[in-house]
Amino acid sequence: MSKSVEPEKLASSRRQILKWGLLAGVGGAGTLAAFSQLEKIKLRSSVTVLPSTHTGAISGQASTPLTMLRDFDYGTVTQEKGRTVREFRVEAQTSTIKLDNAHTFITWNLNGRVPGPTFRATEGDRIRVIFYNRAGHSHSLHFHGVHPAEMDGVKPIRNGKIMIYEFDAEPFGVQLYHCHVAPVTRHIGKGLYGMFIIDPKDLRPPADEMMLIMAGYDVNDDKKNELYAFNGLPHYYMHHPIAIQQNQLIRLYVLNMIEFDAAVTFHLHANMFKVNRAGRSPQPSEETDVITMGTAERHILEFSYRYPGKYMFHPHQDAIAEAGCMGLFDVVESTKT
Amino acid sequence: MFNLRVFSLLVSAVGLSTLMACGETQDSPSASVSPSASSTAMSSGMNHSATGKKQININGAILSELDKLEAKLAVPGLSNKIQASRPYGKTDELVSKKVITQAQFDQVKDMVTIEDIQLTGEAKDVDYMTKLGLMKGHMLVAKELLDLKKPDQAEPHIGHPVEEIYADVEGQLNERKVKEFKTSLIALQDLVKAGAKDTAKVDTEFKISVQSVEGAIANLPDTQRKDPKFVLQVINGLLDTANSEYGAAIADGKISQAIEYQDSRGFVAYANDLYKGITPAMQKDSPDAHKAITSAMADLTKAWPAPIPPAAPVKTTDAVSKLIKDIEMNTQKSINPS
Repeated sequence: MSKSVEPEKLASSRRQILKWGLLAGVGGAGTLAAFSQLEKIKLRSSVTVLPSTHTGAISGQASTPLTMLRDFDYGTVTQEKGRTVREFRVEAQTSTIKLDNAHTFITWNLNGRVPGPTFRATEGDRIRVIFYNRAGHSHSLHFHGVHPAEMDGVKPIRNGKIMIYEFDAEPFGVQLYHCHVAPVTRHIGKGLYGMFIIDPKDLRPPADEMMLIMAGYDVNDDKKNELYAFNGLPHYYMHHPIAIQQNQLIRLYVLNMIEFDAAVTFHLHANMFKVNRAGRSPQPSEETDVITMGTAERHILEFSYRYPGKYMFHPHQDAIAEAGCMGLFDVVESTKT
Repeated sequence: MFNLRVFSLLVSAVGLSTLMACGETQDSPSASVSPSASSTAMSSGMNHSATGKKQININGAILSELDKLEAKLAVPGLSNKIQASRPYGKTDELVSKKVITQAQFDQVKDMVTIEDIQLTGEAKDVDYMTKLGLMKGHMLVAKELLDLKKPDQAEPHIGHPVEEIYADVEGQLNERKVKEFKTSLIALQDLVKAGAKDTAKVDTEFKISVQSVEGAIANLPDTQRKDPKFVLQVINGLLDTANSEYGAAIADGKISQAIEYQDSRGFVAYANDLYKGITPAMQKDSPDAHKAITSAMADLTKAWPAPIPPAAPVKTTDAVSKLIKDIEMNTQKSINPS
């Protein structure tokens, strides 16, 4: 099914490896020649990204939690005054998603998806986000990270207006962005948030990388969450487990974006993971299998599975897990891939 | 979504027969920009053109400003075309998005910018009045809900002027020497949040807040506030927002978000109020447009039969959008008769 990638030949960024892995899995083996001219990085070992045996497609939605999982958006890249500029275009929209059989929810979102695109850049790049508000209410994009006050995204941008946010990608680590118009609980709860990953200049070791955002849904405006989800849809990864390879290094970028509940944990079954807080270190610093995360807190978690099989991940606030915030890794034996 | 080229490369490289559902990688190719494009916003210092001339922000300018470009290039309908192709990441996207040709762009490139510019003249006044008009719309529907003894439902509409609009108009209020009224809006919100128990007190504070908004509007000269050309632009701003909000209220053929239904109700109500003020002038100067606008407005208003949403929407989002488009088209005729 999948194919290991030979690093020396594949002078490419991880994103392209991952996409190639996904595509190869779907469409069969292919040539690597096309990548030879792309960015150069040293990969010390191979990374195998397993395809899923299902697409998990949802009618009427271009993105699903499965396609979002490894969909890193590096923007449109140009060179300006000797610098790499990454341009991202996002439109605030409103649209409905079916959270479960009983709940169709009106989201406020970017480009029709919840969470919004996972922006990704390297430390020091210039980031330009062209934000077009077409969602009725005033909205904004507030980025975490270091930038001048006028780019802090607290000022509401009215319906029909455009704001261009421009700043340097710093410091490296896992950042996030969200709408900062009050009540922020409602603007985030309805879907205006996403992850912003800033890679260090010395890239992290190769791994199968994924983005997971925990979020809550207040479906009846009572300022409490009734449903929860990883990457937008309750229970999705329970029905569509994430296939990963045995003994392969997995790197999760995890963010807690749950409003109304002060904090949740992230727990992984039958394993320990290494924690790199906010992704601010070159290497993880501690090991555990449950980590507490307040709202907006995010970390890089790294692990690999020794034994094949299906393993759950979820907050250990079990009511929250059972209300939709849980999923499965499906660890596939190395010899079978 | 922005690496279309890489993506196609990958597709051809692995000889895919079926594409994954990967909507985010499929952006319009017209959005890509040439790598040689000159930088416009690299410096956060917001330096303006060395010519010192007042530039037009193609992302934000109102039609009457864009008309300067339309006039210069003598392209009929250009202002609307520029507006329809927003947003622009760089000025030369006017060419890559096929709004104008390279030769035309060369003629106007010093006149256009995507940087934030200080609004002046009519554009500034339209912007100011629209923001205050949105506040007024929120307050109208808040009052209806307070009268119905629904303080919990009124609360978001008293909150919205502070949360969504005030920060955006604060600079202009200071500049125009309008006394700040954020404090009174917040004080009122506190009362309503707490259940609006003392109705007399709520009433008094509500009046203070509404008078503040009205006072800020009255800062504009009376002649301007009665000028159809000016007021119609404000009405369009209100209706455009009402349109988006109405769409954000409906799911599965039901009004599932009362807040957005009520927001849009308030904006349309204030648009109706504003139109009344220019009716005599419209009757006199643009009788045809007036007829079309009043009939469409009356039909549109039926979508909001009461402050509490009906079980089923009276009008679909498409029907509301169409009426608002009709109204905008007719207002353009009298704003910009050509």
